[in-house]
Amino acid sequence: MVKQATSPITKTARLLDLVPFITTHQGISIKDLAKEFAISSEELLDDLNTLWMCGLPGYTPLELIDLSFESGYVSIRNAEILQKVRLLTKEELVVIAIGLDFLKESLSKDREDLVLAITSLQTKIKSLIGDIAQVTPTVDSAHRAVILRALKERKNLEIEYHSLIRDQISTRVITPLELGEDKGIEVLLAYCGTASGFRTFRLDNVKQAKLLDASDFVAEAQNSSEEIFRAKCRVHSRLRTTFERFRLETDIATSPGSSPGKGITVEVTSFSQDWLVRNFMSTLANTEITNPAALAKSVGAKARTTLELYKSGHFSS
Amino acid sequence: MSRKTERLVNLTIALLATKRYITKSEIFRTVDGYEGTAESKERMFERDKDDLRNLGIEIEVGSFDPLFEDEAGYRIKPDSYQFQLGEVSSQEISLLSLAAEAWRGAALDGSALTALRKLHAIGIESDIESIPDLAPHANVRDKNLQVAISAITSRQKISFKYLSEELTEQDRKIAPYAVTSRYGHWYLYGLDLEKLGIRSFRLDRISGDIAPEGKPGSFEVDEEFDLSSLSKSGDEVRTAVIYLRVGRAIALRSRSKTSSTQSAIAGWDLVELNYRDQERFIEEVLWYGDDAIVLEPKSVREEIVKRLELGVKRYG
Repeated sequence: MVKQATSPITKTARLLDLVPFITTHQGISIKDLAKEFAISSEELLDDLNTLWMCGLPGYTPLELIDLSFESGYVSIRNAEILQKVRLLTKEELVVIAIGLDFLKESLSKDREDLVLAITSLQTKIKSLIGDIAQVTPTVDSAHRAVILRALKERKNLEIEYHSLIRDQISTRVITPLELGEDKGIEVLLAYCGTASGFRTFRLDNVKQAKLLDASDFVAEAQNSSEEIFRAKCRVHSRLRTTFERFRLETDIATSPGSSPGKGITVEVTSFSQDWLVRNFMSTLANTEITNPAALAKSVGAKARTTLELYKSGHFSS
Repeated sequence: MSRKTERLVNLTIALLATKRYITKSEIFRTVDGYEGTAESKERMFERDKDDLRNLGIEIEVGSFDPLFEDEAGYRIKPDSYQFQLGEVSSQEISLLSLAAEAWRGAALDGSALTALRKLHAIGIESDIESIPDLAPHANVRDKNLQVAISAITSRQKISFKYLSEELTEQDRKIAPYAVTSRYGHWYLYGLDLEKLGIRSFRLDRISGDIAPEGKPGSFEVDEEFDLSSLSKSGDEVRTAVIYLRVGRAIALRSRSKTSSTQSAIAGWDLVELNYRDQERFIEEVLWYGDDAIVLEPKSVREEIVKRLELGVKRYG
């Protein structure tokens, strides 16, 4: 970690927070206290030495804050003026309000008591800062907790998973390996016993998660051999929406040299051919595949079978 | 630099301890750390006041004698300094702490950490056993979120470059009102100062950094503004009637309010679906190919047929 010089303001905030904390945790060790404030022991000692020089005007021993920490354990006296916990800043209140939204969505029906407790805290916070943040989480915090436990305790999971590409919900037994992120989406890398291979699961598509017994599967290999499908296409309208759909970086298009007026040629990639076909179906009006021909043919075939249904007469009023 | 820290802490103590307003000259005389010429002390004090305000500490200005306005006095009211959520139970402490934990490693982890410290400093043991195992996580690292929230809470205008549908950058200047997150995306709401209307902006479509403009406290939120109604509005809701192959188009189906009814055609359900943005709805239906066939509205059906014909012609 790069060591950053602490600004006097940050340090002041910390000193003001140290006083009430030590007051309620008299005799806490230097090590634990430093950990709580996410600083090194040296920084903490520097803080305590500064605090020791502070007090009421007059600054005689009678007025100064009395700290003892030579023994490695910290206690404080004569700091009544600062011993009240400081108020939460508006930014801190927003952070908490949003966090409470995350929790509320994940509570099951039988915890009405907690939902009520959260609602009453949120009402209190709103009365202080107004209604300035609302969040609907995409991932269930309870599912994430189960996954984290499985990773920690090296256990298998049974998940109910909704695959958007296959348009299917299936139950699978998996050995979780690692939580990660793919273009802003939380994913779980796992060995899937059901599919006998490494798979990446989007957390927002995990519908249920259940802890199973300890896993005997030791995972080392990675899914490096997974095939990547590529396609070249021209995007000629709804550029932003289409770029987002194919998860393309928008700076390709905004960089000088590209002329958005006439459309942009881009390369799109995916681990799934089906994903590409579906996305090109969605964007028939905005994109044109130039390569490979096989992919264009698949999209053409899908368009044809769909069109046949529209024309068949069964599906009309 | 700890001289400055020392002075700020001493100033806070002095202003908190006093029951009456104390004057600047008293402060300079009694509070440790004010040195130099009258002018430099003056400057120091002004800066210190701003710094404390940035920490959420409000210094109240008052006067002993209304006839002598220049003899202004200062103090910090204990009420405006102290933790303001009142008495909290151990269960509430656990909920508040868990809520702050959601930001670990995310965009606002600095504020989350300081909030956690304050919560811990209350000295009530958290009652985590009474809460089911939950691991909330704010999956966002965009620094602009923090800048936006700080501007919202301090009522400071902001400007930024925003990517249009044509992927060109537009300059926007707004009075920021609120943030929301839906479907995994963060949105910023505010009064567009050029278009003079409430607009929403998807955070990841903001190109580069959000820049604060002018001073904090430079606008009031329009009283008409209601976040709950705004995040749901937009285009008017329309209804489509659509055939879905049994067991398919799961995500689409789950949006339907009517339970899927069997249709006259074997292997197919007839479902009613609401949508707002017609273009987005068409793209959504096309994703499912021959598993989803729109019956009504006619305009949507015709547009889909047109696109499929184009696809057959181009790729077939």
